[in-house]
Amino acid sequence: MNAVEGMVFNIQRYSIDDGPGVRTTVFLKGCPLSCLWCSNPESLDPLPEVTWRYTSCRRCGTCVAACPEGAIALTDDGIRIDRIRCSRCGSCVAACLPGALALSGRKMTVDEVWSVVRKDRDYYEVSGGGVTCSGGEVLAQPEFVAALFRRCRAEGIHTCADTSGWGSPEAMETVLGECDLVYFDLKHMNPAEHLRLCGRSNEPILRNLGLTVARGVPLVVRLPLVPGCNDTAENLAATGAAVARLAAGAEVHLLPYHHYGESKYRMLGREYPLPEVESPAPEALERAKAIIESYGLKCDIKK
Amino acid sequence: MAEKAGLDMSTNETGVDPEEIRKVQVLTPRLQKLKREWEEAEPQVYVDDTLLFTESWRETEGLPLDIRWAKALEKRLLECPVVIRDGEIVVGSLTKFIRGNGTLCAMKPREILEMCEKGKFARKTSDTESTKITPEDLAALRADAEYWIEHIPQVSTVNAALEYDMGPGVFDLLFDTGCVFEGRGVRYKMDRGLFQNYSAYGGGVAQVSARCIEVGLNHVIDLCRKERERMMLEGDERSHGSAQFLRKYWLLEACILSCRAFIRYAERHAWLARSEAAKETRGWRKAELLRIAEACERCPAEPPRDFFEAVQCVRLYHLVCWKESSDRPEVPIGRLDQILNPYYVKDKAEGKITPQGAAELLGALWLKIRECENLVTIPRSQRAAPGSLLPNITLCGVDAEGRDLTNEVSWLVLEAMAQVKLSEPAIYIRYNPNMDPRFLLHALRCNVEFGGGNPAFLNDALGTQRYLDRGVPITDACDWNSSGCLGYHLDCMEHLGGGHNINQIKLLELALNDGFDPRTQKQLGPKTGDPKTFASFDDVMGAYLRQLEYFVPVLHRIKVLTLCTEVADGPMSGLRCAMQFEDSIREGLTPKEGGARYPEGRTSWLGSRGMVDIADSLAAIKKLVFDEKKVTMGELLEACARNWEGHDALHQMCLNAPKYGNDDEYVDSLYDRLSTEVPEIMQRWIDPITGKKPILFIGAAAGHVAIGKAVGALPNGRRAGTPVNDAACSVMPGMDVNGPTAAINSATNGPYAREFCGYAMNMKFSKSVLNTEEKLEKLSWLVKAFMKRGGWHIQFNIHSREELLDAQKHPAEHRNLLVRVGGYSAYFIDLPPELQNEIVERSMHDRL
Repeated sequence: MNAVEGMVFNIQRYSIDDGPGVRTTVFLKGCPLSCLWCSNPESLDPLPEVTWRYTSCRRCGTCVAACPEGAIALTDDGIRIDRIRCSRCGSCVAACLPGALALSGRKMTVDEVWSVVRKDRDYYEVSGGGVTCSGGEVLAQPEFVAALFRRCRAEGIHTCADTSGWGSPEAMETVLGECDLVYFDLKHMNPAEHLRLCGRSNEPILRNLGLTVARGVPLVVRLPLVPGCNDTAENLAATGAAVARLAAGAEVHLLPYHHYGESKYRMLGREYPLPEVESPAPEALERAKAIIESYGLKCDIKK
Repeated sequence: MAEKAGLDMSTNETGVDPEEIRKVQVLTPRLQKLKREWEEAEPQVYVDDTLLFTESWRETEGLPLDIRWAKALEKRLLECPVVIRDGEIVVGSLTKFIRGNGTLCAMKPREILEMCEKGKFARKTSDTESTKITPEDLAALRADAEYWIEHIPQVSTVNAALEYDMGPGVFDLLFDTGCVFEGRGVRYKMDRGLFQNYSAYGGGVAQVSARCIEVGLNHVIDLCRKERERMMLEGDERSHGSAQFLRKYWLLEACILSCRAFIRYAERHAWLARSEAAKETRGWRKAELLRIAEACERCPAEPPRDFFEAVQCVRLYHLVCWKESSDRPEVPIGRLDQILNPYYVKDKAEGKITPQGAAELLGALWLKIRECENLVTIPRSQRAAPGSLLPNITLCGVDAEGRDLTNEVSWLVLEAMAQVKLSEPAIYIRYNPNMDPRFLLHALRCNVEFGGGNPAFLNDALGTQRYLDRGVPITDACDWNSSGCLGYHLDCMEHLGGGHNINQIKLLELALNDGFDPRTQKQLGPKTGDPKTFASFDDVMGAYLRQLEYFVPVLHRIKVLTLCTEVADGPMSGLRCAMQFEDSIREGLTPKEGGARYPEGRTSWLGSRGMVDIADSLAAIKKLVFDEKKVTMGELLEACARNWEGHDALHQMCLNAPKYGNDDEYVDSLYDRLSTEVPEIMQRWIDPITGKKPILFIGAAAGHVAIGKAVGALPNGRRAGTPVNDAACSVMPGMDVNGPTAAINSATNGPYAREFCGYAMNMKFSKSVLNTEEKLEKLSWLVKAFMKRGGWHIQFNIHSREELLDAQKHPAEHRNLLVRVGGYSAYFIDLPPELQNEIVERSMHDRL
């Protein structure tokens, strides 16, 4: 029995881009950062949120009547949820027949998550896969992540933490103690820019990167490449230099920016922060790769 | 299995260089030209063979039936037009036209006459285009059809037998109007002509015989002659009395006649090639023609001497078996890589062939195989396997010693399939876990390039195990190949054919109506209680199972009467006898009459359709009526009876109820129970002909459309008259929202495929999921895990632009369509329209 609880917004099976092999990715809800390009906006708030899938909504108004707070209004193109009034009780979700409304995020125990994770053991086995915790931010729920990983490792399942690195050293140590691989994001090397783009300074991140290397846990550094935000030659060079200095030998993945998260903003009733930004051109990606490689690092572009 | 036998299974090292295989150009300029000519040619009705058949039949009046069939084949093979087209390196054309459609009026004269009158001739793969015919041919075809209308029995012997046995109208009621059972196109119009119920499936299929190719037909002729001499000198211990003795005597003669005719048909090609060569001024072409001539002089009389002759030989076998088949020819080609590889290896060692040369020959073979078509009168919606000609090719497999038989020809065949890009032949790979992983990747890459779910993967160990379970020794059990739309059988040791299917969802509908059928307004099944009085969910399950218990013995009876009546009226004996000469000659019977070594598959096959719909319906009833009590049984049944009209909210609740395919314990436990209890009931009665438990068949290529038409709305949210799920373990469209591993788990949480063949898992992927080598490897993991978990058959469809466009128009039906890029994934329907458009465009340009 393991009753440690975490706030989870999605458990995605057959994840094939979050580490080696076939993986189950456990997405945690709540993130201390607020990156402008975040493709999982539902992961930011640490509490459950009502999402509205407009393609399924029939504008029937059942939810309006069901809401005890009077937080839902019918509009010309669907519904509008007053997020301040919303008590996140889920009454509207239960009432919605076409399933257009859903509650994103719920408390789950390690046992509950394990009962999903264990279902795909055959796939992990044939592929060398396992479990990835992603976010949200794993360092915001270190005890839960460590407990889940401990459970997985006891059963011979590979574990990977996908982190922004923003958290206390204690949290980092707790997670590092139980994971086989770390996917570590680096968003910007300039502290002021990092603060502007992600809402926080990057100092704890760089410190935790050093800690990860010191603990000897295998590491992949991941760079979201967002045009106009962090794709200058200067920043790429600084990143390459930092990785070479702090984590020589680490593999670097370049993650080209995409705006596929945009529809999720609409589902949450939020504005998309980067409407004008395009995905980086192939040449820009190659240029970025060359810069990173010039620091003696192995670099892959992920699509 | 091999593990069971205590044998060592070692990883296969094929020594194949994938780069070399990928480099081959299958469609060389001359094959490109031939393919283009075929694509551009207008389909044309071909009448020569039917006229020759009729002429022969008139000439052989009074002779034993086996002789008449053999003489009819002989006349067709000796007198039909023989053509060799410029640029062809593999020869043997069904008709004199580039795209001709054959037929035999003796088979269905009334239908052919109807076609003549309407002036519209439909083909097996399509009835959207008409097929042209010259005025002279039209007149001849009409006269031929009219002749046969006068000379065939006026009633179907099968129907007469069944109506006598079961009472008039019962058969019609159970099949055509009530649709408790679903059989073959046979039931559509009773115009079976001279062939009676003898469709290819019912009558059985002559497959390309690997054993015949290996020994040569002269050897088979010799065996027949010796057996006839022996039985005249010593008597025949296998015959009991004069009827059997005489039958064997004539059957052996028919076998000799058929083999000789086949040999002479090949020689006619040789003669034509030589005369063309004599006229030929281009030196290289002259040499090719002489090479073709040598091959056709040698084979099929004697075994091939090299790869070239072997490919040519396979082509002629396929063609002659096709000609001998009837309405729905489906001639499996069998284990092509096993047939051809010895020649390939030898030629390669002698420096006679390169991968490129072999690939071109395979491409040429492909074009010839696809060329065959027949006229078909059954509407497409009622055909089994519409759009398909079913010349299945099987690759790989583990032998009796546990060795993986994947070879370089296996690689080349896949490459040929991917590059030629014709709808057929379909390829089936006998997957085993010790296969070269590079081969698996090659197969998946070819699948993506081909785009249409080809090749499919079958579980090698399971296929063999089902035969071992029925007492077939390992040496034979391991020699199986795919056949039909979803079947398989032992290569030349078993009679291949289909059977009848129980329409499971109709049984559920009956159970929900106390045995009464709302559609026909008749009490079709036993009274199993008014569901409104059911106190628990178990009462519902019990009522359904009792309906099944009632109908299984009825199905056995129908099947036996149908098959045995077909046997009495069946043609094409000589050629079929030859194809399975090792057993048929000694027995003096054709394979389907008992001359096959193992009758297991043919006579025992019982089909079941619609189990996923039942599991989902039962889950909805259990949840809404009994567990959560959100609705009464009466309300639910009323909504079904009204096809959900005016019951939108309830309909949505039913659609939202747990659905199979999501690894959801709630519904999967019901599926599990059905998967245990349904086979138990279906196998409770032995097959009356074999005395063994029937092999069960599940799933459908197209039958799910037919059976859906006769069934009203069901508690799973399905609307009245719509198709049921497309195969045994595929998920209700749009209902698998937990991803591929969950869908596979639902289908493999128990040993469901152990008793059911045809248990096919269809999976769809968008092209963007498979745009790198790395991602193909990820797909291969699904195959591996599926097989590890005891799955039987898995195939992958790669989305087309049309499907994506349809997803935009009807998002609810495409809820499971995943688009993944980078560390982020989304369901296609969740994406904003502009992005959807972008992906639609992008998928068109995807190249791996």
